[in-house]
Amino acid sequence: MQPTVADIMAVAMSHHMKNGEVAIMGAYSAIPMMACRLAQLTHAPDLTFIAGGSGAVNPKLRPMVQSSCDWKLLTAESVLPLSDVIDLEARPEIDVFFAGGLQVDKFGNCNLVCVGDYANPKLRGPGSVGLPFLSRAGRFVIYTNAHNKRLFVEKVDFLSGPGFLDGVSYAKKKPIGNGPSLVVTPLCTFGFGRDRTMELRTVHPGVTVQQVIENTGFQLKPPLTVPETTLPTGEELELLAKIDPKGVARNSVR
Amino acid sequence: MSAGDAVERFVKPGCMLGIGGMHMHNNPMALIREVVRKGTRIGTLVTSPSANINADLLIGAGLVDEIYCSYVGFEHLGLAPNFRMAVEQKKIRVREGDEAAVVYGLRAGMSSLPFIPLPIGLELAQTSKVNTLDFKTTTDPFTGDSVLCLRPIKPNVSFIHCQKADAHGNGIFEGSKFTDVDMAKASDKVILQVEEIVSDDYIEKNASRVAIPAMLVDAVVQAPFGCHPTSSHSYYTYDEPHLLEYLKACKEGFDAYLQKYVKRPRSHEEYLKVVGEHTLANLKEER
Repeated sequence: MQPTVADIMAVAMSHHMKNGEVAIMGAYSAIPMMACRLAQLTHAPDLTFIAGGSGAVNPKLRPMVQSSCDWKLLTAESVLPLSDVIDLEARPEIDVFFAGGLQVDKFGNCNLVCVGDYANPKLRGPGSVGLPFLSRAGRFVIYTNAHNKRLFVEKVDFLSGPGFLDGVSYAKKKPIGNGPSLVVTPLCTFGFGRDRTMELRTVHPGVTVQQVIENTGFQLKPPLTVPETTLPTGEELELLAKIDPKGVARNSVR
Repeated sequence: MSAGDAVERFVKPGCMLGIGGMHMHNNPMALIREVVRKGTRIGTLVTSPSANINADLLIGAGLVDEIYCSYVGFEHLGLAPNFRMAVEQKKIRVREGDEAAVVYGLRAGMSSLPFIPLPIGLELAQTSKVNTLDFKTTTDPFTGDSVLCLRPIKPNVSFIHCQKADAHGNGIFEGSKFTDVDMAKASDKVILQVEEIVSDDYIEKNASRVAIPAMLVDAVVQAPFGCHPTSSHSYYTYDEPHLLEYLKACKEGFDAYLQKYVKRPRSHEEYLKVVGEHTLANLKEER
């Protein structure tokens, strides 16, 4: 069985999760949900994850669904009203927050509000939802279903979810959380360097470094050699097929 | 009460209307389509942290002067076309919010707090910089530190959908509650849309499951499939083909959609006939 792009992304996210941690995700999060379930079934049985708006804690994903608020997610360990979920987001409980955006910049700042000037937007997006809470999360993982220059930009047009801000002033703001730790795209994974900017860490099989550079809107400093993203093991692939037999998440990325 | 009577009686032109449901779930659509039929102007529309067709339909019908929201979109199905267009063309005022604004704003509203301070860190996002009507900075009287605060959200009237209620309005959610209980508590008036009306006896035996007490509710409207094309948790799932038809119509002739599904059917019952029994039956969840 060949892994899909979503499989590779889910495995990268799964390996990032540690046993005993608490994670949370919001809208459009089928792949992060699948990643957390995979982590629970492999190295992190005591991982907890909250499927955002539904309030479901540790949904069993029987079946896997697209919408973060689906009733089918309520086959879970508990179901919280959203205001209780927000209380948890404001407490130190959340180790990992899954985030995304219309735009993501080199400091890991996320934007879900607009492209162009806020007062005269070229494109109005849906809105920030839970992204301001990134400032309080232990760390956060950015995942995207596309990788192009419109998405990965030098500087976000609106700051919905604070990453490392402009890099320099970050430490002075004494943020509660530790900022972004991992970025997973359909082409590659990024980490963050000492200057708090994105660094290419791995490229997915069949993707070249040049391709990543050409599709990224900010200057990348690639290391001399970039390893390939770790492929799912046979066991992981079997589990992914079991979690999502219909390919709801597994086939959601081209 | 019928949806028409409830909307006529409690939704006044220029009011602040709160609408419940999250994403494509539990949207009180029978009540919202009734507002469009009546053409009642909404002064300020305030939504749960994730609005969907509930807000987008009212905006597309040209009835919303201002929206206070955290997210209007169709999740994996795409952006909200009418919301997007109205903002880009400046046909609507936006009070930019986020999840914290809605949840803490409702918390202040339902608890009669004059304002509510926010957890440190949220001031780093740009939301509070572009919405100085709802966000203000003050001094924490205990520490002397600067703290971001929010104005309470207090809708004049809210539309809330839950699955069951008795005739008095004691409401039970058979699934997620989202921010709907908070919104009901923060509002002056509440119209409760339900799938089914249950007996007083049923409520007596399930009193601990009642999330919305009747004293908060001004009208109960029974509307089976009243959330269509969104889901009603545990009763039926969302109608994805219909939502896609809606999204397409927004780009290719929204008036035809409004005529077919909202204006021509004179009631919720007629709307359901247009959608079709067969379509509805296929959406039922297996409980």
